[in-house]
Amino acid sequence: MTSPATATQPSGANSGIAAFTQEWANALTGTSYLPMTQAQLKQLLNRLARQLAGALLAEPFDLRAGQRVGTELVAAHIASAEALGRTVEVVQLRLVRDLGLVAEDVADRLARLLAAVTTGYTRALRDRTLDEQESIRRAAMAQRSKAEEALRASEARFRHQATHDALTDLPNRNLFTERLTTALAAPRRDTDRVGLCFLDLDQFKRVNDQHGHQAGDRVLTEVANRLRQALTGHLVARLGGDAFVILIERTGGTRDVIAVAEAALAAVHEPAAVAGHEVTVRTSIGIVERQVAGTSANELMRAADCTLHWAKAAGGGRWMLYDAERDRRELTRQALTAAIPAGLDRGEFYLDYQPLASLSDGRLLGVEALVRWRHPELGVLRPDRFIGLAEETGLIVPLGGWVLAEACRAAGSWSVTGGTPFVSVNLAVRQVHRPDLVQDVRNILERTGLPPERLQLEITESAMMNPADEPVRALRRLADLGVRIAIDDFGTGYSNLAYLRDLPVTELKVAGEFVAGLRAQEPQADERIVASLVSLAHALDLTVTAEGVETAGQAERLRAIGCDAGQGWHFGRPEPADRILARLS
Amino acid sequence: MRRPDWAPDEIDIERPSVARMYDYYLGGSHNFAVDRAAAQAMVAAVPEAPLMAQANRAFLRRAVHFLADAGVRQFLDIGSGIPTVGNVHEIVQQVAPDSRVVYVDTDPVAVAHSQEILADNDQATVIQEDLRHPDRILRHPELRRLLNLNEPTAVLIVAVLHFVPDDDRPAELLRTLYDALTPGSWLVLSQASDEGRAETERSDAEMVYQRTGSPLWFRNRSELTTLFDGFELVEPGVVWVPQWRPETPESSVNAETSGFLGGVGRIGD
Ligand SMILES: C[S@@+](CC[C@H](N)C(=O)[O-])C[C@H]1O[C@@H](n2cnc3c(N)ncnc32)[C@H](O)[C@@H]1O
Repeated sequence: MTSPATATQPSGANSGIAAFTQEWANALTGTSYLPMTQAQLKQLLNRLARQLAGALLAEPFDLRAGQRVGTELVAAHIASAEALGRTVEVVQLRLVRDLGLVAEDVADRLARLLAAVTTGYTRALRDRTLDEQESIRRAAMAQRSKAEEALRASEARFRHQATHDALTDLPNRNLFTERLTTALAAPRRDTDRVGLCFLDLDQFKRVNDQHGHQAGDRVLTEVANRLRQALTGHLVARLGGDAFVILIERTGGTRDVIAVAEAALAAVHEPAAVAGHEVTVRTSIGIVERQVAGTSANELMRAADCTLHWAKAAGGGRWMLYDAERDRRELTRQALTAAIPAGLDRGEFYLDYQPLASLSDGRLLGVEALVRWRHPELGVLRPDRFIGLAEETGLIVPLGGWVLAEACRAAGSWSVTGGTPFVSVNLAVRQVHRPDLVQDVRNILERTGLPPERLQLEITESAMMNPADEPVRALRRLADLGVRIAIDDFGTGYSNLAYLRDLPVTELKVAGEFVAGLRAQEPQADERIVASLVSLAHALDLTVTAEGVETAGQAERLRAIGCDAGQGWHFGRPEPADRILARLS
Repeated sequence: MRRPDWAPDEIDIERPSVARMYDYYLGGSHNFAVDRAAAQAMVAAVPEAPLMAQANRAFLRRAVHFLADAGVRQFLDIGSGIPTVGNVHEIVQQVAPDSRVVYVDTDPVAVAHSQEILADNDQATVIQEDLRHPDRILRHPELRRLLNLNEPTAVLIVAVLHFVPDDDRPAELLRTLYDALTPGSWLVLSQASDEGRAETERSDAEMVYQRTGSPLWFRNRSELTTLFDGFELVEPGVVWVPQWRPETPESSVNAETSGFLGGVGRIGD
């Protein structure tokens, strides 16, 4: 373009520019949020209007001025498609007219200037849009990674909480089980071995009771810290309460695990200061160690737990090693014990009877009822297999009650000319101590019609330790009824002769072991013991029955000593009552 | 297992955010396709929605100017949104460079964006927190760092209360804030109102916002006025936002189309 600048800007332009600016401002209203006051907006538009006007008239014509105006508008946040459209419209319609611009090629210039404004504006708006998009995306990403990080952290925290004990921060049962299962599932070699130490504080309850739960918690924390320190390299977990466990992986044998157990004992047994007191905590440890192959987590845990109980039962403050044989025995015993009630219900128990014979004339005086268990799997069991268990668990009460009732029922139906034998029934200590013993016996006798003097109750010495006791009074009332009372196994317990005088006893049964020592012709210590027992008993007006008489020779010696009666294979083995009775008739 | 309350929120950018929709209404580009779709649905329901947002934002600007001129130097802006243009700290730090501004928003992206904008500004900060936990906001270390509540402070809750239904007991929330403030402090409230709106418009708008997870809860003039309890409203009280101290008389014509009521109150000495 070479056309000369013939345009002029007439006076009065100032009022024109004000009008134009106002028009422009109105046009922009509502196109987008304008972060400024009306006055600020007008000031800005006024300046830009001047620039546009200047550009229209400038020589040489410079398009960059238009672009700058477009850019400035966007920079001032007048930044929307609508704002551009309205700007173009207002400038196109009003600028030249309001400002009274006169120029030869003004229409031409205006078109090109507006094109430049639009270009500058659009470019700036596009840049701004891209910038904003980028910044919001960055924010979203920042937020996302922050959230993910927080999520990871919280997951880690979750995981830690789920796998650790809150009090001691030791791994908990979950983590321990997980690690044990992994160790068992993926051994490095077929021959890998694994060990567990189950650890339980001895009499921890007492710490809690004496010093309070806070002190108890401090002891637990202290123990946890010591174990953690003493046993680095092994997983030490708290199973709950005062129970801890140590996992020893890839052991070289039992010795390794014992070493760990000893270290644990030593660490725990150091005195600890609790609530201003020095408290010595002791602990018991059950150890199990075996090849990984062929074992399971449950088996190991059970074995270690059971060994821990042995260590406790043995007095505590020690470790013990798992003993499979002992475990098997105990399991059988437990199974047997558990089966007693059902056995009673199903009538698996029955009685055999063993004769008690007069030594002077061989007459049958009585029979001792002996309980048998026809176990569905194990066959017939003798009392030594289950009476001990029944006594430990208290099942002796129902079992003994059944024996008593059954023996009385049977004996009530016997009748032998020339003297019906009495029936002798063993009473366990627990039975003797039952408050309703007397009433029970009375009811049974009434129900079965058995005369009291044909019932003998055999009790052990320990059942009658103190003559002032309730049990003794009960026995006395039974004796008053006419029931015979015999002391079983006399000579093996306290054998306190003095109390015999005050007790309602009618008979002593001398333990078989003394009888075993009686050999023909050569008087031994045993014979002298039995002899003095007999003379003592006679002095107290008691009869004496010797148990375990196996030979005619022994019977002979006993008769010579003056013993009243005998029981044992020599006189007859335990068998059903009807066979014994059949022989008599 | 129940999520404990220290567990982070789900990452959720697939859902429209009211903060970014608002940015769209104001003409910003700090928004994603989901936000634009929701905002466009709103515009279809209520065509003047962008103008309403602009009117509200202009009210915020005038109110903050007013407070800065009144000498307030501490600002607590709750529900501050995406810093688009005309942010409180930009306004007040122009008047008094030593002014301090604490922004609070629940929207994590808004907060992340604010953090970026404010990275170099040690007079302004942002907290991610919910208006419904004013106690947590008040004892937040960032707030404690920048604001001394023993000095007059302006609390701004602008275009936020309509996201707090009455079940969330807004009066109690405001009471907690009030109790933390010293005499000479200020409260600026604005919120959407359905006064004079067609029922269809109202329910369409509600439907749009239902999908954002921040449903709308309109209040009328007397309800909003009640929320100023304890504060003395300055002239002209609670009004349609364009009517609040307009810069030019013509800027307040058809004020009720703004759909926003607002006001400014002060705790008397
Ligand atoms: C419409 S914007 C208002 C922004 C700014 N206050 C204004 O008026 O220009 C609403 C903002 O409040 C936020 N918000 C909604 N509910 C909130 C709550 N309960 N607590 C804090 N912020 C909330 C949203 O995330 C959004 O950023």
